[in-house]
Amino acid sequence: MTDNIKCECGHLNHVGTVLCESCGKPLADDDGQGLLEMRYDGVARRSQKANPNVLDRIWNFFSSVKVAVYLIVITLVLASLGTILRQENTFYNPALTDMEKFYREEYGLFGQIYYSLGLSNMYESWWFRGLLLMIGTSLVICSLDRVLPLYRALSKQKIRKHLSFITRQRVALQTELDPSAGPADAWLERFAAALRARRYKVHMEDGALLAEKNRFSRWGPYINHIGLIIFLLATLLRTLLPGWSMEEDISFIEGETKAIAGTPYYLKIDKFVEEFYTEEDLHESMREKGVGMPKRFEAEATLYACLEEPCGQPGTLEELARHQIIINEPLKYDNLAIYLFYYEPTDQIVWMNLTLEERDTRKPLGQFELDMFNPAPVMQAGEYEIRVTDFFPEFIIRDGAPATKSREPRNPGVVLNIAGPGTPPEGYRYLFVPKLGIMEELEDDSYRLKAEPEGNFYLSLASVDDVRLAHYKTYLSVRSHEGMWMIWLGAAIFMIGVVMGFYWQHRRIWVRLDGQSLALGAHTNKNWMSLRREVADALTRSGMEADQKDLDNEVKRS
Amino acid sequence: MKKNKKIIQFAILLAVVVVGALTISDSLSGRSYNPPAAGDKAPDFTVKGLDGSTYRLSDFAGKTVVLNFWGSFCEPCVREMPLLQGVYEKHKDNNVVVLGSNLDEKLLTVQSFVERTGVTFPILLDHTDIQKKYGVIYYPTTFVIDPSGKVKYKKIGEITDARELERFF
Repeated sequence: MTDNIKCECGHLNHVGTVLCESCGKPLADDDGQGLLEMRYDGVARRSQKANPNVLDRIWNFFSSVKVAVYLIVITLVLASLGTILRQENTFYNPALTDMEKFYREEYGLFGQIYYSLGLSNMYESWWFRGLLLMIGTSLVICSLDRVLPLYRALSKQKIRKHLSFITRQRVALQTELDPSAGPADAWLERFAAALRARRYKVHMEDGALLAEKNRFSRWGPYINHIGLIIFLLATLLRTLLPGWSMEEDISFIEGETKAIAGTPYYLKIDKFVEEFYTEEDLHESMREKGVGMPKRFEAEATLYACLEEPCGQPGTLEELARHQIIINEPLKYDNLAIYLFYYEPTDQIVWMNLTLEERDTRKPLGQFELDMFNPAPVMQAGEYEIRVTDFFPEFIIRDGAPATKSREPRNPGVVLNIAGPGTPPEGYRYLFVPKLGIMEELEDDSYRLKAEPEGNFYLSLASVDDVRLAHYKTYLSVRSHEGMWMIWLGAAIFMIGVVMGFYWQHRRIWVRLDGQSLALGAHTNKNWMSLRREVADALTRSGMEADQKDLDNEVKRS
Repeated sequence: MKKNKKIIQFAILLAVVVVGALTISDSLSGRSYNPPAAGDKAPDFTVKGLDGSTYRLSDFAGKTVVLNFWGSFCEPCVREMPLLQGVYEKHKDNNVVVLGSNLDEKLLTVQSFVERTGVTFPILLDHTDIQKKYGVIYYPTTFVIDPSGKVKYKKIGEITDARELERFF
């Protein structure tokens, strides 16, 4: 094969090999005296080839650590740009916000440029995702290209190494054994025993020795990369699989029950509690300003399952979970986490226990409960049947008829149909606006106020306990992520890899005897001082005077 | 061995291309907050109608769809209802359908409003899903979608002349 290089020991090496895979003889710079480059044990990367085709060229591009570093730096720099101004996905309802207008009005010309460059939504942009994808690719290819040849090289190491391989290690020693101290082989046995005591795995072969420990720490970085890849895939799946993750912001008025879009659940905020610090607790400067400091705020929430559509009425919901939600302490159920992220004061009627009266005489005719958010279709007050037939969240008069100004129930008005003794079968139609105290009869078809009312009804509240008000509107964020286990798995594998690579070092010691002359070299990936001490210690135990300093090849050469 | 290596190499690069195409196309379509404009594909939706049946935009392939976003709180929406009803009646046998997408109001409110105004075209009960897909911020907004599912026209604000819509039929 033309693309291979033959070493003098007879071994065929791949193109790009720095140190012969068998005897360790330097192939690239074989006359040099400097320290050897021991990275990946001098093996060729898998993709290094004499005649690369297109596929190989793409592969080689991603296989380069230099490219990987550039990719990471570029991504970091761009990612930091996204933190200058607010990102679009942090809005309460991004799809329903006029973004261009917001950036123009809030940040001026800079905002306009920022928006038009797409930096305002950059983490979801195709080019940012493209960069992440390239980093992921480079992670896989870089690792594969190095780990496989390294694995091969480490699993079949030759024990007797080339002399220049040994002497050009950072930890090295060349000396003559004292013949009076006994045969060289006996010394080697003693040295081997000393290393075994240090938990080295020792291999010997006619006057040569290879001692090795903690090889597994070499796999640390690659395991760490596997963790990263799993992590990255988990985040990709989040955007690819519908239903894999969701995030929905919903606002609730105290006492309101609403469906959570995208889930089969309903949520009710039963109550919102806000407590303030007392005057004494506050700093003087705060007291002077006269502003209250909230001490605690929490939303009492209940999660329901819908038993039968349409949901909302009592009896159609089944309680699943109940929780006092405070900031960073969400209600959790199954995969769902419901966070509180904002609240504001409001003033709304939620529920009333009303008394139906005769208008003239104030004679009570019956009582009924009116839920302003989910009115029951039919209510019974004494002998009278009451139906809610229309609802105006923010009551106004438009073109002479009741209408609504917004969807916010700031001043709700309802149209009630009252039928019973003394009314026509279809009943009389009333407009009832509790906040304004309006209770007027309407024409059936046009909704205009009846000039000459025929019914004789009025609604009143018997006591203050007969009305329930909402004082707060809360904003909740409902999130679920099916793939959390994958994120944790990736993170755990990542940590295992980091620990393997950080807390252990792969150490190797080579010895070669040629008659009475001894050559010793040792290599580790870090913590060289400890390796030198270990070698010096083993040498001393084997009966040879040795000092750590004598082993330091760098010092000796300079 | 040599051949295996090639296959693995090719498989990895292929996986990268597939994953890349999926993520990048996903971010180019759908999930961005850019509302569809004239010439873009109209996002599909599935939603319950006031009549209880389920409506899908794709069910109307082959027809021109006038998609109107409205709410009873929005005065111009209320004003243009009779015009839309007129367009619906005049062109319903002409491969044209009018859909009124109500913005998340109470069923009761929608029901009685529709009854009182005498609207007969399908009313969709949108809990902001369609609204988000179409990025509708101002009301009323009306889209004309051609039989191939492409947005032909987008109008923000009240339509005062039926010809504004009819020129696309």
